[in-house]
Amino acid sequence: MRLAFILGEIGSGLRRNLSMVVSVILVTFVSLTFVGAAGMLQLQINQMKGYWYDKVQVAIFLCGDGSTAAGCATGTATPEQQENLRTLLESPAVSQYINDFQFESKDDAYKHFKEQFSNSPIVDSVTPDQLPASFRINMKDPEKYQIISETFASQPGVETVIDQRQVLERLFSVMNAASLVAVIIAGVMIVCAILLIATTIRLSAFSRRRETGIMRLVGASKIVIQLPFILEGVIAAVIGAALASGTLWAVAHFFLGEYMSKQYPDTAFISPAQTLLLAPALLALGATLAGISSLLTLRRYLRV
Amino acid sequence: MIRFENVTKVYDQTARPALDSVNLEIDRGEFAFLVGASGSGKSTFLRLVLKEDRATSGAVYVAGQNVANISSWRVPRLRRGIGVVFQDFRLLPQKNVFANVAFAMQVIGKSRSIIRDTVPEVLKTVGLEGKEHRMPHELSGGEQQRVAIARAVVNRPGILLADEPTGNLDPTTSMGIMGVLDKINQNGTTVVMATHDDDIVNEMRKRVVELRNGVVIRDEARALYTSMIPVVGQSRRLKDASGRPDESATGPGDGSVPSSAGESK
Repeated sequence: MRLAFILGEIGSGLRRNLSMVVSVILVTFVSLTFVGAAGMLQLQINQMKGYWYDKVQVAIFLCGDGSTAAGCATGTATPEQQENLRTLLESPAVSQYINDFQFESKDDAYKHFKEQFSNSPIVDSVTPDQLPASFRINMKDPEKYQIISETFASQPGVETVIDQRQVLERLFSVMNAASLVAVIIAGVMIVCAILLIATTIRLSAFSRRRETGIMRLVGASKIVIQLPFILEGVIAAVIGAALASGTLWAVAHFFLGEYMSKQYPDTAFISPAQTLLLAPALLALGATLAGISSLLTLRRYLRV
Repeated sequence: MIRFENVTKVYDQTARPALDSVNLEIDRGEFAFLVGASGSGKSTFLRLVLKEDRATSGAVYVAGQNVANISSWRVPRLRRGIGVVFQDFRLLPQKNVFANVAFAMQVIGKSRSIIRDTVPEVLKTVGLEGKEHRMPHELSGGEQQRVAIARAVVNRPGILLADEPTGNLDPTTSMGIMGVLDKINQNGTTVVMATHDDDIVNEMRKRVVELRNGVVIRDEARALYTSMIPVVGQSRRLKDASGRPDESATGPGDGSVPSSAGESK
């Protein structure tokens, strides 16, 4: 009975304050979309880092089937060439610069590739043979990349030596800057949302002061009086958060999945399913903001 | 049922207290009028009973309990034991008669079936049977006040506080309302009614407590609006009235005129 009553009160409150409720929904929608965009950029950075990025800095790719580099005249790197490289890496002249190294076989490379490009159509057309084996090196000082490059680039069986960081770091710094901007905009919008929710609750409490006055007099409990107002704000904010989650999903699905992944097939993009991981966080954030802001407003404007 | 022990209420440190060392006891089942000019402390008295305000000093007991010791989350329980009626009815304009009365039961979580049984019964008590589906604007003032009374007593409170319930009504309608309040009182509810209406007080012949400037100056059983006998605290009244015309000589209902004119400056 009491639940039905509270639900009825919420319904009438939302109807009476419709324009304000719509504006709360839109403001939380926009602010949480920016929060989610920042989250998506970070997810995308993680996706592009792949398996090796945080573990090593330099990769020595061995010759594969179709390699055309000077050192690959003999075709695919032989086990002897592999052993020579390993011995060289372990020799004191080189090992003083590196912490450790790992060998990635063609099969390992295929496994990591499948993980990173799981959302991309390219994964189906690649076989382990097409992927080169590699030595992955963790440097003591990443700046000494040049030494490794000079030592190994001319060795037989080596196709190329790559400093991964140099390739991706500039892109990542742009993306990090973009997510910072998104967070700042989100912060401003969230302040806006909090103030708007407070104003809406205040108006709502004012327009129903007759009811709440009578409720007080006949001895309704604090919860019965205040809960409808708090839930009004929370419901509006949760609708906004749901819209924001839907928008992020749509961006991942239509923009990244359908468009970007065709334009840049060699880049790993996040999947729409991954953006849905952000949705619970956005919903919780929206509900918490609205709850706290209405609670504080009611404490001032709705004495019980 | 209601006991005031040396109660003082000060709203503003610089002004005189709204209630000044009031001692008063109203027993279970009693019917008491609270009379006095505007600003004499009648409303403050009612607010203290409801714990809308806190006494500056002294103790207010309601149903044997010192209201100062009731924690804020238990105040609703105190208020469920007290019905309140106002001069301006305070009905919800978009709800019909039945829904207005049922509202008081809904918000404290009464079940639908109990509400369906109780509300018509209470409406009958106040003389509104057959008008369940009227809207407040379709009712006369007297009928609206009956709805307000029904709402105040539907949860069977032990105390009914009425703050000038006949202030907006003509004399005949007022007597009808008094009949309803009397009937509720006969059923065992303690009724405290603040009023200016001398005709009603004279007609009812109930206990009369007269306040002036926050002080109880008269407390008589089966009394009239103005005292026929020299009242207690006469010397104090004369002192309070110094510089003004002698108010003790004014007729019924006129008492408020000089004092309110004096206050408005």
